[in-house]
Amino acid sequence: MKSRPSFLRVPGALVWTAFLAIVLGIAVQGAFATRANIARTFDQQSRIVQAQLDLEEILRLQIDEENSVRGYVLTRDPSYAVSYARQYSETAQAFDEKVEAVARVLAEQHLTAASQTLEDYVSLQSNWRRKIAAPLFASPHTDVGGLDKENKAFSDYENRTAAFIRSELAKQSDALARSTQEQINRDTYARAFWLALFGLLAILFNGFRSRLSSELEEERTTTEILQRAFRSEHVPLPNCEVGSAYLSASSHLAVGGDVFDVYRLSDSLAMVFIADVSGKGVDAAVLTAFIKFTIRGIALRRRDPGSMLAEFNTAFAQTVENPYLFVSMFVGVLDTQALQFRYASAGHDSAFVRRAHDVQQLQVTGPVLGVMEEPFETKTLYLEDGDTLVLVTDGLTEARSRKGEQLGERGAMDLIGSSNPQPQKLADELVAQVKALEGNHTRDDLAVLAIRVHEPGGFDAN
Amino acid sequence: MRISALIALVWLLAGGIALADCRVHQNELVLLYGTSDDPDVFVWDSRFRLRDYEGGTFDQMRALLPHATLVRPGTRAIVESCVANFVQSKYVAQPDDAIGIVITAGPLRGERGWVIGSAIRELTKRPRQ
Repeated sequence: MKSRPSFLRVPGALVWTAFLAIVLGIAVQGAFATRANIARTFDQQSRIVQAQLDLEEILRLQIDEENSVRGYVLTRDPSYAVSYARQYSETAQAFDEKVEAVARVLAEQHLTAASQTLEDYVSLQSNWRRKIAAPLFASPHTDVGGLDKENKAFSDYENRTAAFIRSELAKQSDALARSTQEQINRDTYARAFWLALFGLLAILFNGFRSRLSSELEEERTTTEILQRAFRSEHVPLPNCEVGSAYLSASSHLAVGGDVFDVYRLSDSLAMVFIADVSGKGVDAAVLTAFIKFTIRGIALRRRDPGSMLAEFNTAFAQTVENPYLFVSMFVGVLDTQALQFRYASAGHDSAFVRRAHDVQQLQVTGPVLGVMEEPFETKTLYLEDGDTLVLVTDGLTEARSRKGEQLGERGAMDLIGSSNPQPQKLADELVAQVKALEGNHTRDDLAVLAIRVHEPGGFDAN
Repeated sequence: MRISALIALVWLLAGGIALADCRVHQNELVLLYGTSDDPDVFVWDSRFRLRDYEGGTFDQMRALLPHATLVRPGTRAIVESCVANFVQSKYVAQPDDAIGIVITAGPLRGERGWVIGSAIRELTKRPRQ
């Protein structure tokens, strides 16, 4: 039997979904990470821009003060002194707040030199007020020559420090933007790599699965063709009605080796058997052909079912090398004139006889074939008019409901007892019941062979 | 050797110490104009003091003020010489030129001195004498 690694039997949809989930997870996580980075950078940049605006506002306030001083120096107009005093009182608090805000951003961005420069600037501004503005307005007749030059020097120094702070903030803003861009690039390349990798793996896996499914489907088709070819057509038997049905498992891997046969040995004798090979697939289907024709050959020489099984067991052991293969088989020879049924069962416990609505299970008379050399006992069953032999495989007794409840022998017997007595209808009803029980997921093959006997002369098979 | 010496002599006569990298050239007519915040311009008695002023701390700057004359914005002058990238201001990355000028108008007409390149606005070229 061909075996496949178990990991290949993992349901494709589940694996495919897992791949997609991983890919989607990466994509979503990456998108959120990028968004968080961009948001963080925007926040920092907006704080820097605000600091730049605050710095310009600081300069504007300072220039306004200086212009008042300059205007007073040039014109000696007292209105400049009034203007300066008003500006100073109104803007001193705003000036301090702006300085504090800029200092905070410089500290956050670790711009140490710029922070120091801002401190110098504020200190200078204070000195300018104390050493130039205040004495000038306090003593209007002061000689202004020196003050004018000092005022200019103040102005120059302030411009330089402001330019430096401005430049440091701009550089920091550029560095942030550059760093974010680099991070976005890195994230994009990394995500593209992982997406491509997982996508490729998913495609490869899907392709592999498709090929595997295709092979399995092909095997299933071959198996079913073989089974149909080796399954017996209904052979008309005198005083008998014969019905049969077959249900293939829904899984590719479960289609296998159920086989039955009705073979006429003489005018009044017929050999019937049903067997279930332990393996599945093409190999099991081929084995059913071996079983069918070997048993027929044996039946032509022997009429005792127990002897048939014993001889078959020997032939099976000599032919099939696989030690894990075995067969359960029920063989019977039906005398359609005497309504006598002699049978032997090699581990096949799914054989029943229905009498009216009473169903009895036929005994197992030996071990399954292919395991050990053991004799098989032959039993004799005397049939009455209307009795029906119902031979099935374990697809009936082991059928499970969607809740997992197994039908069992008792359930199978109940079903047989309650089914239509006409053999073909009985066989069809059993298959329909199993389908109804298991839904679309039939776990195992099911073969049904039903033979109803009648008193000689009481029934015309034709 | 002689040719090289001759070229050097001609160059010195023609342009003095004006350098090719300078933003203005000798005999160019210019206006003095400082920054828009404070357009007055310091004219220094030495280009080295100009450099020290631009590169110094505030206290160093104040100490140099007796060597500078403050002129009003728009004062006309002629370029006498230029030393490219001579001045490195504190906190400013790019160096600036030191430009030797002669004031040509106003009460300070005829006075010579040095100004920083950023305080120069080019006006016209003065024809060579």
